[in-house]
Amino acid sequence: MVLKRIAYAVCVLALLAGAWGLYDRLVYGHQHAAYGSYVVWGLWVAMYLFFAGIAAGAFMIATLDLLFGIPVLRGIGRLALWVALVSLAAALLSIWLDLGHMDRIWKVYLQGSPSSVMAQMVWGYTAFGFLALVCLILALTRPASRLLRTLMIVGLPLSLFISGAVGALLGVQASRMFWHVGLFPVQFPVFSLASGTAAMLVAIGLFGSRQDPLRSEQLRLFSLATVVLTIVKLYFLWADFSQSMYGNVPQNVKAVEAVLYGQYWWAFWILQLLLGSLVPMVVLALPGPSRNGQWAGWMGVLVLVGFAAARANIVFPALTVPELEALTTAFTGPHLTFDYFPSPMEWAVTAGITGMAILAFLIGNDVLPLRAKMEVA
Amino acid sequence: MVVTSQEQDILLRMQDDLRRALEKPPHQRRWVMVIDLRRCIGCHACTVACVAENKLPPGVVYRPVLEEEFGSYPNATRRFLPRPCMQCDNPPCTPVCPVHATYRDENGVVVVDYAQCIGCRYCITACPYAARTFDFGRVYTDGTAEAEGLILGRSRADDYERVANFEYGRPYERLRGEESPIGNVRKCHFCLHRLAAGMLPACTTTCIGRATMFGDANDPDSLVTEMIARTNVIRLKEELGTEPRVYYLV
Repeated sequence: MVLKRIAYAVCVLALLAGAWGLYDRLVYGHQHAAYGSYVVWGLWVAMYLFFAGIAAGAFMIATLDLLFGIPVLRGIGRLALWVALVSLAAALLSIWLDLGHMDRIWKVYLQGSPSSVMAQMVWGYTAFGFLALVCLILALTRPASRLLRTLMIVGLPLSLFISGAVGALLGVQASRMFWHVGLFPVQFPVFSLASGTAAMLVAIGLFGSRQDPLRSEQLRLFSLATVVLTIVKLYFLWADFSQSMYGNVPQNVKAVEAVLYGQYWWAFWILQLLLGSLVPMVVLALPGPSRNGQWAGWMGVLVLVGFAAARANIVFPALTVPELEALTTAFTGPHLTFDYFPSPMEWAVTAGITGMAILAFLIGNDVLPLRAKMEVA
Repeated sequence: MVVTSQEQDILLRMQDDLRRALEKPPHQRRWVMVIDLRRCIGCHACTVACVAENKLPPGVVYRPVLEEEFGSYPNATRRFLPRPCMQCDNPPCTPVCPVHATYRDENGVVVVDYAQCIGCRYCITACPYAARTFDFGRVYTDGTAEAEGLILGRSRADDYERVANFEYGRPYERLRGEESPIGNVRKCHFCLHRLAAGMLPACTTTCIGRATMFGDANDPDSLVTEMIARTNVIRLKEELGTEPRVYYLV
């Protein structure tokens, strides 16, 4: 209860910061952003990838209950769908604010280019959002309906597609060696599932009902899933980086070195690797802590922080390597730099969006009967 | 002044070439740019001319000149490499656009439809030459002192900055807020608006070393056709298969 009050208070503070950031963004446009014409995508794009990953992963987890009916996960379907929806809202809001012309977003729907991975992704996420919303409404009102199962059947490959599309969005770019990895569209659904699993650890561990008889086993299951998926994630990381270093293509090597030793070294070694991967793996592998709501929940938070850092470490470093040598000094001016650290306005907007998502989750968790069915069972 | 064997300034020859090219239907032209790196002295006149012609705001650049130093004293040298948009025949920047806002026009020049661009900047990440920049809405008078007078003073200078340019043959006023071209991706377009009026691109006419040459490569008599047939021609990052229309003489 205390934790929930603290969470509400933090969310309100985050929303206040977000209100200032939003004001700045809407009045001054992108002028006070730290990203530019070289590091062209910044914190908001990274957070879009992060939240979209949670959304797709949470939907995949919802199918375990609402489609496959796994007994130990009974009742988590609606909670997972709610997590998916609030995460998706945060993702879309984050990327919408990143556009130069927010008012033209309708063009992607009515005048979109089918050959563009970005257009495909926007269409896919929009369809996914509507589908998840209908699924949640059905799960709340008619949980035994055939339509719900049918929509979950449709939604499962769709969630795989949209999470893979994020990888493809980057992977299709042959001019960015760091991104141009054939396995990117394969890796991202795994990342999504891992972040969705971590989000469920937070939702159940920190904010779930302690009277729930299945809670302990669910936490154990999600803990072990997180451990396994983290191992797979680390393997992907090793594969990407080692191939890049062995391949020795300068642009690729520089991007990897920027991650390992560049200005974001702390984000990789401390946030992504130590706190986001190794510590949670050790704790969640232990039988006791993995069943304990506080331990499992906070480890879930660490895994999510690690994923946020990982998304940033995918987006920024590839863009900090000049396409042409000497470009760094060729022409100077605002937003023409290969160094990037998010500006206060960017942080404020991201804080507001994150606060909004957490607040929406908490309110839904309190108001909506997300867990009622399971408790009856 | 650099002259050809006919003792004619190459600017005059390029003007003749341009006149002939404009008599042809657009799809029969193949605009190319040739930059003789041996003649480039790194004066940046082309960069400045481009900024003035297109009224580029701070942070937006179409044609920077890259400078590199090689060797060590006494065997040291510098190389200057002007980098306009390569106007690729197989551009990686156009298919990624989610709304068809950037494409090759009937001349084969890669253009941006400012009214269509949503400002997602995906095309910038796709360009292997960093030839695109985003218009963040800045003006040069940001933060400058307000003063009275006919010429000096932020408000008057600011007014000048916001007067329309003529890119793509349309007057784009630089209004406050996020009206295009603010919030758009912008790039070199070989001064299409000048070509339509029978004038060479601003960077070409301004080049004091006559290092920049422009014309129709489908015209066998044009200067650029003669130049790109030489053996000392290179194009940047050809291995990517982008088929750039900018050639460098080395």
